Amino acid sequence: MANNTQSEQLDKIISALLGPPGAPVSRAEAARAANMTLAPVFELIRDLRDLPRPNFKARLKADLERRASMASTAKAAPEFRVSATPYLSVRGASAAISFYEKALGATVLSRIDQPDGRVGHAELNIGGAKIYLADEFPEIDFRSPQSLGGSPVRVHLDVPDVDESARRMVAAGATVVRPVADQFYGDRSGQFRDPFGYTWTLSTHKEDVSPEEMRRRVAAESQRAPKAPAASPEKAANPVRGGFHTVTPYLIIPHAADWIDFVTRAFGAEERFRAKRPGAEDIIMHAEVKIGDSMLEVADANPEYPPTPSTLLLRVNDPDAVYARAVEAGATVFDPVTDHDYGSRGGTVKDASGNRWHIFTPTPGSNLFAAFGSVTPHLYATEPVRLIEFLEKAFGGEEIYRAEMPGGGIPHAQVRIGDSIVALAGGRGPGPYTSMQSTLHLYVPDTDALYVQALAAGAAPIQPPADQPYGDRSAGVRDPFGNRWFIATHMKDVAF
Amino acid sequence: MPPKDAHDERLLIAAAQKDPARFTELYEEHFERVYAFVARRLRNRDDAEDVTSEVFRDALANLKSFEYRGAPFASWLYRIASNAIADRWRHATREQGTALADPPDDSAQANPEAVESRARLFRQVATLPADQRRVIEMRFAEGRSIAEIARQIGRSSGAVKQLQFRAIQNLRGSVETRSRAKAKKPVSKNG
Repeated sequence: MANNTQSEQLDKIISALLGPPGAPVSRAEAARAANMTLAPVFELIRDLRDLPRPNFKARLKADLERRASMASTAKAAPEFRVSATPYLSVRGASAAISFYEKALGATVLSRIDQPDGRVGHAELNIGGAKIYLADEFPEIDFRSPQSLGGSPVRVHLDVPDVDESARRMVAAGATVVRPVADQFYGDRSGQFRDPFGYTWTLSTHKEDVSPEEMRRRVAAESQRAPKAPAASPEKAANPVRGGFHTVTPYLIIPHAADWIDFVTRAFGAEERFRAKRPGAEDIIMHAEVKIGDSMLEVADANPEYPPTPSTLLLRVNDPDAVYARAVEAGATVFDPVTDHDYGSRGGTVKDASGNRWHIFTPTPGSNLFAAFGSVTPHLYATEPVRLIEFLEKAFGGEEIYRAEMPGGGIPHAQVRIGDSIVALAGGRGPGPYTSMQSTLHLYVPDTDALYVQALAAGAAPIQPPADQPYGDRSAGVRDPFGNRWFIATHMKDVAF
Repeated sequence: MPPKDAHDERLLIAAAQKDPARFTELYEEHFERVYAFVARRLRNRDDAEDVTSEVFRDALANLKSFEYRGAPFASWLYRIASNAIADRWRHATREQGTALADPPDDSAQANPEAVESRARLFRQVATLPADQRRVIEMRFAEGRSIAEIARQIGRSSGAVKQLQFRAIQNLRGSVETRSRAKAKKPVSKNG
């Protein structure tokens, strides 16, 4: 039989685990309550958090019943087809029509010529696709690519045999923008510019590619990309360098070369790039390693850039094994591996260059680290709330999780920036790690804009935006908490 | 609700392929499972409901193309769900103007046993005495506070907490009975 104390205690746990969405959850209190007598129901309560809303099942069922009955009765019902048709403005529509007949096998469905000789409207059929076109009429602001200096709109045309269509297009006088090639998403396609200023993508679907396979191919391609410079202007227009994410920890540390050996042995890191200082082979000016799906950058500290070792959260499948390997590879023990009630098992080591690694795996069923990549940077601040606000204002970050201690400290928070997570913690006033300051590299679509935004949010300038020889445009700022941020936009791939 | 054996499931699929109206039987069988699978991978209930709806609508629309090859129907639904979640994620990253990148790795959560046990729990909630069920639904699915629930059902806060306590005890009891029963069952169950 339930007594008051028990039902009160249970509700304490439930309140701590539930909280209104987005509101702080006091894990510490939940843990304390759980340790009292009610630990076994902890998991049950966590599972109940996913309970569907009571009327949802019935609502969806009604919707499915409606659809099912439509599917069985309305087979022959006439369908209104929504379609979008490109309407091309060209200088010399008559010549363009002849060109499209030759190059694309177009047939003219209708054509209206104006008394002044211009084509007022024409409709073409290209293998079942409809295209409208007309001469340009500057008087009504209907201008051709020749007048505007190009067209931002590209026409994508699915054809049965892209190689054959491409030959025909080029033979008729089109120029090759991108030769025909197999694409990672399962099409074989190429791009061609016609003499009237329009670019056509000719494409044949070859295979259905699952999202997983697509990701695998993109990853494989982006690793090759730096070695095949500027093959495609499109790839270069991607603001994030191939293989990178929005946020990359940049470790400026002593003994960078030894550190690379360490992460290779301990965490199976792959070295992707290394630039040594000319004349001083043991000094690394810049290197890049990949751990799991995350890139890390590293450089030897120097008087201009004093060391900023970081705290990194390393997500693995088997924390005990990886922890043991890290210690074997020379890391010192900081916190042994234990189960944490907030949903993970992990422990912390410190490497010889001063970085701290929290090696963890999420508890099965825990959602807390769902957005984490293999390596997530972790920042400390005496005023964590202000740091969160700064990340939001300066970099468009979005707070996705915050745990608060009863006294006001934040043991763990997560801010999403682009496709990455930055974790952070801090208490009221200085704590044991608040003096740790990190360096991070941020890939964004517009370095100049973000630099200004960061300064407006309270950052101090380190270097204004400038084009770099390695193909990035980058800038540097220091946040009010002493962390260094390099803001960059990848402009083009450059071979080293 | 015990899981239907493979033969029953096959008949049910065949029936629904002939007559879409029979699809609701498959829906009743799998709703909790799919929702349990989806809810853990998304941040809020609206998204979970959207994706769950998408999964069953997709499954209904493409049921004719489903070929029975021995894998349970649920794994087909999970695959549709994974793709829908991945799409959503890709869409979100594209909207933010960032590059195509790996979506969050969910291998740690892809435990079918855990999904199954959450689905059972959801069904168990439906079998609770009405007042207990109402409290659990309001508290967990609708995210209401004890005070709000008390106001709504016209009981004291203490009484609501008692109902909540008894409901959790009942749910816990049935979880334990089930795992004991399961432990006694013979291991071989291929048929």
